[in-house]
Amino acid sequence: MDWLSTLINGLLLGGLYALFGLGLALVFGVMRVVNLAHGEFIVLGAYAGFFLVGWFSTVPVWAMLIPVVLIGYGFGWLLQATLLNRAVRSGNVLTPLVLTFGLSVLLRNGMVELFGADSRAVDAGALGSASMDLLGISVGVYPVLMLLLALALFASLQWVLQHTEFGRTVRATADFPDVVRLMGVKPERVFCQVMGLAAAFAMGAGYLLAQRTLLTPFSGVERMLVAFEVVIIGGLGSFWGAIAGGLVLGVAQLFGQRIDSNAGSLYAHLLFLVTLMVRPKGLAGGRA
Amino acid sequence: MKTSTWFPLAWTLPCALAAWLAPHWLDAGLMRLASEVLLAICMAQMWNLLAGYGGLMSLGHQLFIGVGAYALFDLAQRTGVSPYWLLPLTSLAGALCAALIAPALFRLRDAYFAIGIWVVAEVVALLVSKTSALGGSAGLTLDMSALEDIELFGQMSFWLACALGIVSVAGLQLLMRSRLGLAMTAVRDNEVAARSVGIDVQRVRLIAFVISGGMSALAGAVYFMGGMFLVPSAAFDVNWVVMMLFATLIGGIGSIGGPVIGVLIWFGLREVLATSLGISGGWYLIAMGAVAVVVSLYAPRGLLGLRLPASARRAAS
Repeated sequence: MDWLSTLINGLLLGGLYALFGLGLALVFGVMRVVNLAHGEFIVLGAYAGFFLVGWFSTVPVWAMLIPVVLIGYGFGWLLQATLLNRAVRSGNVLTPLVLTFGLSVLLRNGMVELFGADSRAVDAGALGSASMDLLGISVGVYPVLMLLLALALFASLQWVLQHTEFGRTVRATADFPDVVRLMGVKPERVFCQVMGLAAAFAMGAGYLLAQRTLLTPFSGVERMLVAFEVVIIGGLGSFWGAIAGGLVLGVAQLFGQRIDSNAGSLYAHLLFLVTLMVRPKGLAGGRA
Repeated sequence: MKTSTWFPLAWTLPCALAAWLAPHWLDAGLMRLASEVLLAICMAQMWNLLAGYGGLMSLGHQLFIGVGAYALFDLAQRTGVSPYWLLPLTSLAGALCAALIAPALFRLRDAYFAIGIWVVAEVVALLVSKTSALGGSAGLTLDMSALEDIELFGQMSFWLACALGIVSVAGLQLLMRSRLGLAMTAVRDNEVAARSVGIDVQRVRLIAFVISGGMSALAGAVYFMGGMFLVPSAAFDVNWVVMMLFATLIGGIGSIGGPVIGVLIWFGLREVLATSLGISGGWYLIAMGAVAVVVSLYAPRGLLGLRLPASARRAAS
């Protein structure tokens, strides 16, 4: 029974991990940009939520997810419009890498200077500690909602990309940024929207994370590693692969911690390496 | 070799002379700073060798720093031999480590390789901090009982740093003049074309990886030898690779002067902002981030890339 509960909690943690990877997969899939500032986006979401909850204490904590996500979209859009588009247009693969690397250093230390280095968390209130009965095991209501939210987001993103005008535009831009120009699409605008979505997902996930654990401005690096592992296990650019990757990593981490209580993410990392050796292109990619 | 081959190395002689005399002029603080800068040059140069010439972007070079440092501390503890004699073994440990992980990691490319080696570094760091024989997360102190002259230790650490700084730059200059170096330059410029003229790209990469790992380990060992104390969180700190990446990309990747300039900017900014103006440490990192952003937009090939004429720059990007 204990093992089943570890499995379920691992899957629930995996939902959050999958959300970390979603934005990264989107940006890489569409722009071929490896966003080294993704971890800082996640932490930024946590801080935005922290301050919003502090200022508007009458609004329920879960409802604050909406403004955090909207701020994230605006932030990502602006970042792409002012800086990243110039780097993507250069056509040099190194340029966006240096740029996002610089941004991550800038954002991380900017947050340290502005908010201090002590760890903070968002108090999720009654919902955070509520639990329910699932197959005879008591699980937190909040993690279950998080996993459901992750699944819903993945499904709706997949649907939007496959079945809407916007989705077709994004897929076309990802494949042939120069050809879509002939059809009257501005690739730069599509990139802005995609980065907006990616930052919205990252900041939303960061806000949710802040309700589970304590975070400091330095927490971004670790989360970015998780996000990368999720995306790579899944196969770069594949959304269903990313959610599978998230769940697998979440389960591996909790099982590892059960066997060996101070292992941290050791077993999740080992599983990641084994997966890479067996399938260098990830779960969704072809076999080596 | 012809004289012309050796001429570009002429700068090493005055540098070596200056290093020899430096302990007479510099106080302990400046000597520590100079050692730090020179070791950073060596590390950045080794990252550049792999990324700039081998085309493999690593986000896990802290692995080699940590492996070198732990090899030194552990061997000193076990054998009781003077740390100076153990240093060659640390670079062997780094090279061996690179050769061991290469078969697995070389199946990966680009982002996969970068993250793969980062995860390897994390795994090794976690394993080290769980191993009580290596001091666990509390760390190790260097066994200095075999040193005859403890007074000279500071100077020796400084000279070792000088040697590594000079050897890494001069060695890369020499390497790039050799057949292997030409093959590396070809791989850097165009991998497909290099393959087509019969260069074994994977072999060239493997050699670059092993040299890079071995020298980084040695630089890491010398760095922590100077501090005499070692904890896993410092040895396997991701900021090592952040420094190497910054220095190389800002200065100019795939050139020998680039990482040197990058390291000088990195430490120059730190000294001016944090030490001279007394601004809190975070702001110099913010300035560093801003420099990276500006350089990526206005000098995408790094600062040294600005020297190229516009036509060459277009061709390069």
